[in-house]
Amino acid sequence: MSEVAIATKALAKTYSSIRAVGGINLTVQRGSIYGFLGRNGAGKSTTIKMLLGLVRPTAGSASIFGLDTRGDHLAILDRTAFVSEKKTLYPSLTPAELARFSRGFYPTWSDSALEKYSRLFEIPMNQRFEQLSNGNQTKVWLLLALCQGADLLILDEPTTALDPITVDQLMRALAQDARERGSTIFFSSHQLEEVETIAEYVGFIDRGSLLLEARLDDIKGEFRLITAAGNSLPAQTSPQVLAVDVGQQSYRYVVTKDAEGFAAGLSRNGATVTSIAPLSLREIFLQLVRKEEPCTFGNAGATRVPSSSPS
Amino acid sequence: MYIWKCWRDTRSFFIAFMIIAAAALPVIGLVCTGTGVMRDFGRDAAVSTFGLLMTVIALGLGTIGAIHEFADKAVHFLFTKPRSRAYFVWAGWAVGCVEVLAIAFVNVLAGGVTLALYSSARFWPALLAALKGFGIPGILIYSLFVFGQTYSLTAVLRSGLKGLGASLAAWTGLSAFAAAMWARWRVHVPIPAERIGSLPVAISYGVWIVVALLFVFGAQRIVERAEI
Repeated sequence: MSEVAIATKALAKTYSSIRAVGGINLTVQRGSIYGFLGRNGAGKSTTIKMLLGLVRPTAGSASIFGLDTRGDHLAILDRTAFVSEKKTLYPSLTPAELARFSRGFYPTWSDSALEKYSRLFEIPMNQRFEQLSNGNQTKVWLLLALCQGADLLILDEPTTALDPITVDQLMRALAQDARERGSTIFFSSHQLEEVETIAEYVGFIDRGSLLLEARLDDIKGEFRLITAAGNSLPAQTSPQVLAVDVGQQSYRYVVTKDAEGFAAGLSRNGATVTSIAPLSLREIFLQLVRKEEPCTFGNAGATRVPSSSPS
Repeated sequence: MYIWKCWRDTRSFFIAFMIIAAAALPVIGLVCTGTGVMRDFGRDAAVSTFGLLMTVIALGLGTIGAIHEFADKAVHFLFTKPRSRAYFVWAGWAVGCVEVLAIAFVNVLAGGVTLALYSSARFWPALLAALKGFGIPGILIYSLFVFGQTYSLTAVLRSGLKGLGASLAAWTGLSAFAAAMWARWRVHVPIPAERIGSLPVAISYGVWIVVALLFVFGAQRIVERAEI
């Protein structure tokens, strides 16, 4: 039995001249919770659609539980629950009818889970889907996914329109599901705090490229932000240096390991190392994917700070 | 479960069409004879009404029944269920076919009753004559052809309105083409359910059924390759 739940090799998708996903190599361990992070339009949903056979890859390959996503499509869907980015469903059906509809497709369906989660999420089971609030519509998707008894849950922006209490309940439910049944959870989000709550692994995608894939514990334990001042300091990324932000007076390095050693090397080159600080997921995300510096006004992230401003 | 869903999507239209199928011929018969438009509501009138009704019903069910999930924007939900897309295409088509046939049956029965009531014939002879003389196989094959064509175009174009429009355009285009060919060169171009050249009627019907199935097969292939 494969120990890897999801593996992709140079998986790519191009729409006309637009590169949506540019050859990514993902590895999701069986039984793990994996947060797939990226900005809007980074390529998260396209990657997920390729895994589920909704979109054909332009190049590369993907497998789930060792099964090829093209050839063994139905066997994969048998074991996979999915929550779509678009939370639309049959408008005239009630959640109870939707559950009845879904149950017929999955021998592993759990009615006890249906009762448990419908009560936990307080879903009005006999109201037509179109009459539900956006939050409740999202909950119905999650309910159907959790009741399926799937080995793999692929959740695309699962917390859309949910209130903080429901998000908390959901995160607990997912963690419990993974713990008790050994299921693998792969979910995309740009809500970093949620990801940090339960994910064991994270992958950062931006403009179709996978920028980083790592254990969250490694990130917390070893990743550091080093700020240094000096002239002609190294500005290239490497396996050790994930990102470099070059300001007028200072350099900021995101270092994946041996931060002390790297700082010592900078000092030897005449740099003044001003700080070595641990990084939160949010800070790493911003360092990796932000193309513009924080704005001084208006549309956040859209306006570069004048270079003379302190950063 | 998907068959239940198809039935649920189409049931209100099916019931409405069923009522129309049951009521249309007797009402038209009553109106025609009552107003003196026709002294004797005969077989030809019943057959034309039957054909027209079945065409409308086939167009309607073809428009409504085809992969309704495209209209509901729930296709990503359906196509991540562990069934092939071919299954969904053919299941919807099969439900529609059964509905078309059920409506046709009621319609023929209503036609027989109408003839019995409003023609000079007596009830049972009229009913039997209706069943024999309606050209039922031809009209049924024609209805299934129109249904299959509309269903397939709706599934491929992912829109009931576009599917209906394309189907009507194809239908009108073929009829106009056949008429033009006959008018200009005296060449007979068969339209669906008509006898093809010198082929026996049964084989002609068989050919039309194959053509109707090819429409659905084509739709299946396109839906299978569609990106969502």
